[in-house]
Amino acid sequence: MSTPLSLSDLDLPRRNGELVFDAPWQSTVFGLAAAVIDNAFGGDREPFRQQLVKAIAAEPGRPYWESWTAALEALAETLPERPVP
Amino acid sequence: MNESGHHPAPLSPVERRVAALEALLTERELVPEGFIEEITRRYESEIGPLNGAKVVARAWVDPGYKERLLTDGTAAIAELGFGGPEGDHMVVVENTSAVHNVIVCTLCSCYPWPVLGLPPSWYKDPPYRARMVREPRTLLAEMGCPLPGDVEIRVWDSSAEVRYLVLPQRPAGTAGMTEAELTGLVTRDSMIGVARL
Repeated sequence: MSTPLSLSDLDLPRRNGELVFDAPWQSTVFGLAAAVIDNAFGGDREPFRQQLVKAIAAEPGRPYWESWTAALEALAETLPERPVP
Repeated sequence: MNESGHHPAPLSPVERRVAALEALLTERELVPEGFIEEITRRYESEIGPLNGAKVVARAWVDPGYKERLLTDGTAAIAELGFGGPEGDHMVVVENTSAVHNVIVCTLCSCYPWPVLGLPPSWYKDPPYRARMVREPRTLLAEMGCPLPGDVEIRVWDSSAEVRYLVLPQRPAGTAGMTEAELTGLVTRDSMIGVARL
């Protein structure tokens, strides 16, 4: 992000926001998915999104970040044995 | 989790699964050192609805920018320095006195990250995802955004590659305000379309 923020900026619309993550494992699994998308799929988010759609459809009432975890597990299953050089 | 304060709580099942994923993916050399900490920091402190608020305020004060924003959202948003994951195909939809727009992702949780950050929990929950398509007027009223019967509601489902952002109407009585002051009026919910300003 190239736009610098001032302290007063930070005070403004964030007030209507909420915590992004409720627990450390949620930010970990979010970051892991981002890492896999960047480093195994060249930034293509679509394979992960398709797994997330499937994971949510499979258990619609499951907490969101648990579906996210299930999606990343399924995506990890599709990875080649060794990272692409 | 650790109410006694004496012993670390045992890991929950999902925490164990995430730890296993982290071990596996790190072993595969897919997780650079510090990557998770850095991306978490960015989404917790840099990338959020303030970015979208700046886009909206600019569009309110600069008709040329507004036109570019409605024509090519991705490029106009990039003018302000915002872009990246989930922001590749941004489409900005304008609220007017006759039309109210609202965004949803019926299949998962697609959301315009560069301008709004990560979605709030209710956006990801089944009731919002289902009901905003089926009965938007009722749901909007329940969420504190009742609309007159003659206002058309347009629901934008982000399930394709496109990510939508709502351009709220500029509130009345703000003619003398600066762009920075206007930025402070723009709420996240107004840019999702579940609130009016």
